[in-house]
Amino acid sequence: MLGALRTYCGGAEQLQTSARTVRAALEDLERHQFALYRNICDETGAVRRHLNVFVNTENVRDLNGVETKLSPGDVLTILPAVSGG
Amino acid sequence: MADRVVLMIGTKKGAFVADAAKPRKSFSLRGPFGGGIPAYSTLIDTRGTPRLYASSCNPFFGMKVLRSTDLGKSFKETKSAPAFPKDDGRAVANIWSLEAGGGKKDLLCGVEPASLFRSPDGGDSWEMVAGISNHEHARKWQPGGGGLCMHTIVRDGNRVHLGISTGGHYLSEDGGQTFKPSNNGVGAGFAPDPYPEFGQCVHKIVRTDRAPGRLYMQNHGGWAEWTGPGGPRPDIGVLRSDDYGHTWRSIAKGLPSDFGFPIVVHPHDPDTVYVVPLEVTTRTCPGGAPAVWRSENGGESWSRLTKGLPKKETFFTVLRDGMDIDELKSPALYFGTTTGQLWIGRDGGEKWECLFDALPPIHNVKVAVV
Repeated sequence: MLGALRTYCGGAEQLQTSARTVRAALEDLERHQFALYRNICDETGAVRRHLNVFVNTENVRDLNGVETKLSPGDVLTILPAVSGG
Repeated sequence: MADRVVLMIGTKKGAFVADAAKPRKSFSLRGPFGGGIPAYSTLIDTRGTPRLYASSCNPFFGMKVLRSTDLGKSFKETKSAPAFPKDDGRAVANIWSLEAGGGKKDLLCGVEPASLFRSPDGGDSWEMVAGISNHEHARKWQPGGGGLCMHTIVRDGNRVHLGISTGGHYLSEDGGQTFKPSNNGVGAGFAPDPYPEFGQCVHKIVRTDRAPGRLYMQNHGGWAEWTGPGGPRPDIGVLRSDDYGHTWRSIAKGLPSDFGFPIVVHPHDPDTVYVVPLEVTTRTCPGGAPAVWRSENGGESWSRLTKGLPKKETFFTVLRDGMDIDELKSPALYFGTTTGQLWIGRDGGEKWECLFDALPPIHNVKVAVV
């Protein structure tokens, strides 16, 4: 978990989920970690524009978006896009 | 007893707080608060124990509202920030205005896309104000250069004036339940109809307690040379109303440009009003020589205030919330620039001095005596 986001989930570095897709994992967050979820998704449910979601090392943008399937042991990582200024 | 002059300075890299004893000889600076995230709006709420607020407009993780209860020594996020209902289909992209509401802890917040939110508890919970956010015009408003923003909230008893870019001026006379466009005399330069019912690019609206019904508006001017449909629209940029915003008339004659962003009214004299005219194409100081212009007769004539300001080679912009005035007996003006300078204009702008020379680009400046 990125440092800036840990304050929204009680300081946890990682969270566990049994979700089978990225979308289901996000819905899991919406139910159980709403403050964290609101940092990742806007009111429409879309992942915020300047965040990237990886399953293991692959950006879900290059897979099947939020419909990308998850398997036991996969690691879901959420990172801000590179930017400057 | 109020004895400190407090400034909130919202910048591209977070919010700063500066304060000084009443003579305003020397200001100390704290910040930035908000971790380098742009603060597009700030508020010093002087009702009861003073509270300071700043929007923290995070492009990665969304909008937050920061609150300080110790006069800006520290800030904490409120429990929530304005957000549209889940089934609305819109998402808050920026927080453009924070103002004190009617109740003791009520706050009002204008956002992009142009909508209004109300908090009953000092920013911990928010509800959308449907009367304007779901107004039948709302889906017809167009974004201006800064986005489709509700940037101005002016309360006057049961009246609520809103400035929307580009939606125009909307007025509620029932405490914010319902709103109507109120743009009679407010010109638009970017539409074939020079005086549409709504859709103007209002930049800022201010009111004064000293003259019932008096408001001033900085509108999007700079259309005197237009030769297309509808013809030229000179002097549409600076306006005055004497009937609570129902009708408006130009007071721009005598200014070097009717384009600008902020407009400020003197706290003790309703006829004294200040603007910062900008060159319309670059939106910087005309001729590279910055000046605040003051009218002392309600806009009938204008004079240029420059003592202490640079004389040449200066091309900053002062944004819509970038200027304010304190309420001391001889008030001082303050403006912040997109080049990160904070200026004080003592004696009502007669004499200017740079307080801070190298802050991040300044979005807004608010002042209060607490």
